Amino acid sequence: MTLDDLLKAGAPPDDLELGPDGQRRLYWKYRGLLKDQERDNAYWEATNANLKHAYETLDEQERQLAAAYRIIRDDLEVASRIQTSLLPSAATLPGIEHAIYCKQLTEVGGDYYDFFRTRRDETAIGVFDISGHGVSAALVMAFLKAQFMLALERLAEPAAIVDEVNTHSYAFLRGVKKYATVNFVVVGDDSISYASGGGFGLVLHGDETHTFEKRAPFIGLRRKPYRQHTLPFTEGDLLAMYTDGMVEAQDSEGRDYTVARLNALIAEHRDEAPAVILDRCLEDYERFRSEDTDDITLLIARRTA
Amino acid sequence: MSGAGGTVDVSRTLDKEMRVFGALLTGYAQACINLNIVAGRRSEALLDDLEINRWYPLDRWLKFERVVLASYAHAGPIMERVGMQMMLGWYHHGPGKALVAAGPDFLEFQTGSGGYASVVDGPESSIGAFALLENDRARGHAQVRSTTPFNREMERGVLIGGMKAPGDLDFVDVVYRPDAQIFDIEYH
Repeated sequence: MTLDDLLKAGAPPDDLELGPDGQRRLYWKYRGLLKDQERDNAYWEATNANLKHAYETLDEQERQLAAAYRIIRDDLEVASRIQTSLLPSAATLPGIEHAIYCKQLTEVGGDYYDFFRTRRDETAIGVFDISGHGVSAALVMAFLKAQFMLALERLAEPAAIVDEVNTHSYAFLRGVKKYATVNFVVVGDDSISYASGGGFGLVLHGDETHTFEKRAPFIGLRRKPYRQHTLPFTEGDLLAMYTDGMVEAQDSEGRDYTVARLNALIAEHRDEAPAVILDRCLEDYERFRSEDTDDITLLIARRTA
Repeated sequence: MSGAGGTVDVSRTLDKEMRVFGALLTGYAQACINLNIVAGRRSEALLDDLEINRWYPLDRWLKFERVVLASYAHAGPIMERVGMQMMLGWYHHGPGKALVAAGPDFLEFQTGSGGYASVVDGPESSIGAFALLENDRARGHAQVRSTTPFNREMERGVLIGGMKAPGDLDFVDVVYRPDAQIFDIEYH
């Protein structure tokens, strides 16, 4: 019997006898197995040493990442506080009852609203959606706030104000690859005047419904004069201004919430207080949407005098 | 088993005229992937735009070597395993089986015109040689002198893997003597 025959058999025969050649091969096969085992051991030891080194490296990187993350979290919290402080706090607007909901998707977001006084001492309301999120959007927000305050020192008409801000912001915003939708309203004695570039607006005057013409360019996108529009806005009339966060949100089947749905809901509850209308809208929105995917700002205002 | 002599002669590897054949790079890359030395995006990057029938500058090979040498604190046994794996792939999934009938034949093949000389190109002073000094089949002993710029551990793996691939040898041991640049090979 040869060694090959022996190894092919399931078990060693009772009368196992190997010739000299078989015995020699058995010897070398056994030595070969030992040699293979020696190589395998060296390979696995090197592999294990590398694995241990990799785990240690991972641990160290995890510690560094955690430290970096803490710094970023702290910075974001500060940025969030700064952004919040830039928004108007529970302002009282003369002759206007209003309610507002503004929720940033992340700690620091791109939606921005503000209340101003024009040089004619009229109330002005701005709602903006800065492209992107995060600290960069907050920095642009601070920049835009400053630009509007400067423009309001010299100008009173909304189109002229937005035009001036766009002119002075264009190069900067192009440079940082940012832009912002704008919805800027000045409340007059019995009307509102507005300029809108991508901002959503609705005025309910008596039985009439007016939606904002918003086809003007976003701030920072093009240098083109803004058109000014005027709508009647008398006692009891309702104004709504919002960004795209709500209306572009989707339900679990991928359907948009839509401008039509939000405007119809506001119209349906037009006789209720702005805070109640706001709640109704938010309740409906929260039932509808599968998740928030953008910053949300919705302002409801009623002329009271 | 000797573990010495694993480093590459830098003065030679910097020779810009030296080229390596795509099949060698592909074999090395595939061995690294099979051994899970690289995975995912890194393995794709390793094989990216690699063609087996093209010549590549030596830099490309050095980049491949660094994949292992830079990743492992004790790279010797890993490079040896890569060399073995390369030859197993070459034999069982490449042309090896048609070219080499028995383990000892591999030594003649690898040191002849179809072996090392066919996958490395450049001035002799740069590419060195992989020369068979002796192959005593009766005694099961051979000697190969290597003056190539390649990693000696990997070369030892190539010798072990190439000789074991046909499956007729029960024992193969390769010991490298760096002072003489010689691989002492024992096989049975």
